[in-house]
Amino acid sequence: MPQFEKIEYKPIPVSDLLVEMKNLSELMIDLAYSAALFNDKELAEDVIELESRIDTLAYLLDMEIMVAARDAEDAETLIGVSTVASAADKISDAAADIAAIVTRNIGIHPIIGEIFEKVEERLMKATVKEGSVIAGKRIDELDLAARMGVDIIAIRRNKDWILDPDETDRVFLGDILITRGAPMGIKEFKDIAEGKLTKLED
Amino acid sequence: MADHKQEVFEEIVTRFVELKNTSELMIDLAYSSLMLNSNTSELMIDLAYSSLMLNSKDLAEEVERLEEYVDKLHTDFELLALTSDFKKEEASGFLGLIRLGVATERIADAAAEMAEVVLRGIEPHPVLKLTIREAEETVIQACVTEDSPLINKTLKEARVPEETGMWILAIKRGEKSLRPKPYTTIQLGDILIASGYAEGVEDLKKLASPQHQCNVE
Repeated sequence: MPQFEKIEYKPIPVSDLLVEMKNLSELMIDLAYSAALFNDKELAEDVIELESRIDTLAYLLDMEIMVAARDAEDAETLIGVSTVASAADKISDAAADIAAIVTRNIGIHPIIGEIFEKVEERLMKATVKEGSVIAGKRIDELDLAARMGVDIIAIRRNKDWILDPDETDRVFLGDILITRGAPMGIKEFKDIAEGKLTKLED
Repeated sequence: MADHKQEVFEEIVTRFVELKNTSELMIDLAYSSLMLNSNTSELMIDLAYSSLMLNSKDLAEEVERLEEYVDKLHTDFELLALTSDFKKEEASGFLGLIRLGVATERIADAAAEMAEVVLRGIEPHPVLKLTIREAEETVIQACVTEDSPLINKTLKEARVPEETGMWILAIKRGEKSLRPKPYTTIQLGDILIASGYAEGVEDLKKLASPQHQCNVE
């Protein structure tokens, strides 16, 4: 049985909650497809975890809306916000179902992933390990798009997610980077992040 | 593996990619329709290119139209997977495919629910506009006519954002709508749906239809 935490009201702006739900649910879609098509258990588990984060946000947002609505007019304008939040929640549920194809060992025929990889980019996780040349560097210094056609779409630092990081953000030892790109490029980048390759070639 | 089977798999992937990209495009358009000022077109009424302007309702209607298209794509995808003559030991891999399709279709449904908020005439709450960074932007559509330098260029080569400041949200091509990717090729007759500040509208129009008046209904 999963553990369900009690959710207490916190005064967080509705727009902050909604932005996070929107961004996380979109990241989840990308992660889930990559997890399912390339049978990547780690990515799939991240999706399942993010899904419970979205559930928490959805509760908080509902409470916020209830507190904010004082009359019928408020209710009429806020119904749009709650509908959009609930749609973002449904998107995250669908992403979790895609991830469950992997975690429940159903799997997708491996040929599908092989062909898919030729037409679409995929995501990969890379952890910045001891001895990596990228540790402490700014994203724009790495110039990944030009060097290997790789894009860092999210950073997981401890328990936090940094979505769509800025060019001036730095990557640190222990960061988990979610990258998107062509198969060769992201494999090379993973080796660099993990310190197996120590040269950033042009 | 038999060539025939490889072909079937390639067809399955092609259809899945279209299904997936269409549902993701719907999410993009649904959010855009929610953030768009519903009275933008009134503000722009004096400008020469007001006929190109899309309002939030136009975008939301496009999402609803795509929802029906996704249902059709999904049915085709399922039929193809089910009739691909798989062996017993492959059943689990095909079940995974079916579930992938079902979840993708649910994503499209969720996008349609968002668009419905706009179509029901619920005035977007200020909070919704805050959710997307560029709330004062406008959305327009421009058709690609035969004298356009964009024809047969990929989006990467076309450099539309660099040249015009406009960001292409979607490419309408007949019944389909494509989610723009760097390698998507622009074709004669495409309708580009783009967002950006009013200053870029004229530039984009010149690129897409230099001589021709293009009337997009």
